[in-house]
Amino acid sequence: MKFGIFFEISVPRPWGPDTEYNVYHNCLEQARLADELGFDQCWAVEHHFLEEYSHCSAPEVFLTAVAATTKNIRIGRGIVVCVPQFNNPIKAAEVAAVMDIVSNGRLEFGTGRSATWTELGGFGADPDETKKTWDEWTRVIPKMWTNERFGYEGRAFSMPKRAVLPKPYQKPHPPMWVAVTSPGTELDAADRGMGSLGLTFGGFSEQEKKIAEYRRRIKYCEPVGSFVNEQVNTVNFLFCHEDNEYGANTGKRLAGTFNYLAEQLLAARQAYPTRSYPNLGLLPALRRESTSAPEGNIPEGLAIGNPDRIVEVIRKWESAGVDRINFLLNAVETVPQAEVLASMRLFAKEVMPKFAEKREAVPAGVAGGE
Amino acid sequence: MPLVGTRNLSDLAAVAPVVANFDTERLEFPGARILQLMYEIDDDAMVSLLPPSLHPTIPPTLVFTVTHVPESPFGAFTVAEVRVGSRSGARPRGLLVHGFCDSADAVEALRAGWGYPLVQANVSLQKRYDRIHAEAHHGGHKVLDMSLLNPEPISGNDLQYLASLNLARVVRDGAEQTRLIQADPDHVFHSADRGQPQLDAFDPAAFNVAGATTNYPVSASYAVADITMPTIRYLVDPSKPPMLSVERVG
Repeated sequence: MKFGIFFEISVPRPWGPDTEYNVYHNCLEQARLADELGFDQCWAVEHHFLEEYSHCSAPEVFLTAVAATTKNIRIGRGIVVCVPQFNNPIKAAEVAAVMDIVSNGRLEFGTGRSATWTELGGFGADPDETKKTWDEWTRVIPKMWTNERFGYEGRAFSMPKRAVLPKPYQKPHPPMWVAVTSPGTELDAADRGMGSLGLTFGGFSEQEKKIAEYRRRIKYCEPVGSFVNEQVNTVNFLFCHEDNEYGANTGKRLAGTFNYLAEQLLAARQAYPTRSYPNLGLLPALRRESTSAPEGNIPEGLAIGNPDRIVEVIRKWESAGVDRINFLLNAVETVPQAEVLASMRLFAKEVMPKFAEKREAVPAGVAGGE
Repeated sequence: MPLVGTRNLSDLAAVAPVVANFDTERLEFPGARILQLMYEIDDDAMVSLLPPSLHPTIPPTLVFTVTHVPESPFGAFTVAEVRVGSRSGARPRGLLVHGFCDSADAVEALRAGWGYPLVQANVSLQKRYDRIHAEAHHGGHKVLDMSLLNPEPISGNDLQYLASLNLARVVRDGAEQTRLIQADPDHVFHSADRGQPQLDAFDPAAFNVAGATTNYPVSASYAVADITMPTIRYLVDPSKPPMLSVERVG
């Protein structure tokens, strides 16, 4: 089991001249501490226009700053929105390669397609197209990295033969992931030999079934990249405190705040009738599961409370088949920065050692996919 | 925390429906035809159209709905509604403060039963092969003219309708209180289409959403469905903050 941190970079109103600055620098401080404490990965989302919920519209810049001030922690581009109105596949390949070089080969490359009308409409993207363009991009980007020159004539994207430069430092290329928010996307990940970057929060029963099917299906995959990245990476909330009740209550406040903000967004399906978004995606269903618990109890899958409780929770995730857990540490600064840092330190001291002697997670790029 | 509305609904509430009790029975409207458009609106009106109990959607939206019910206990009728996209706490809702209906009997029943703030007017809905078109006329002028162009079939499962929060007055201990009554009908779809939205006429003031300027078309859908009107389960006190405003009554 490996542990990481995950940034949405949510910024509370009122927005003063220093609000975003302070939140960004708090996140950078958390990333530096995570590196010192032995966390394995640091992921940052790509979101646009999502007021308060996420002001992380240039994760490649943020993550480069993280890479420049850390030594070992891997940096996760989570995710590149594979929609032409948002990004360009050549540029995405180039930027990723540079990030991999300047980070000394620490890049994890996440892919996805956006799930809100707020973003899709803002860029004038057609919701019917996003799954198709995502599929096309995930097949061409690794070839841009591995072929000296690459040309392509496709449906939504074409280019004459050119050398896409530079090439990534990791060979043959960084591990590739898919953001899994809609049910069924984990199967898309498996079929393409990509890691499952689960952006749902909590809920053992739902995710255990998904992981089992992912493991079964990836055995028969046709990898889009040069190797199979059979790994399951989930997202959770973290607040660790010696006092279980205080830790749980603070963690519930963190989770509740985050979920409340998420529900304010206009999901693609709520605005635009399309089969491309057959459900509400990352928004209500599984997050609701993550925060639903009998009155006064702690939702079963959340890593909040004292170290003993968090160890117990993580053991359950481990037995469900999860390889990595990324923790959301804060939401609109609900938790004071000093408490966030203390929570990380306590987690590293009391919880991480319990999993250090476990089987090492298989390095990305060499697992599964016979 | 998210933005909340600033609108004081007291003046509008003075002419809102009075709902004397909440024991309205479930009621079915078979074969209803529903045309719905969504538009984004200027952010100038982002909070001014909503009361303090509701958050605006991001981006702010209006939902235009014209429903023709061919069969009901009070006869056939057609309703035109314009609702403001919002969130009641974390739940998606559409605020309805004024609408129109072409049947006096339906106006009376929907006002008394579910607090729909409707008045009588001329409302029509026509389906053609090239478009589905609806109009509403009130006070001698056209207040709404909307269309779905180039309909293409989709599944009813691809549609999602907002639960409505209807501005009304409820009677409690002999006194009237301003409340938003949640009406969230069930739909069983027979067919559905989507297409390009087109808004040729819209008078925001006629729907008591003055200041709502549409600026970006989002979507248009049309469905034939059996509608089941619900029993009333939730009220919202519009003057309270979102997390304190919802009351369960059923």
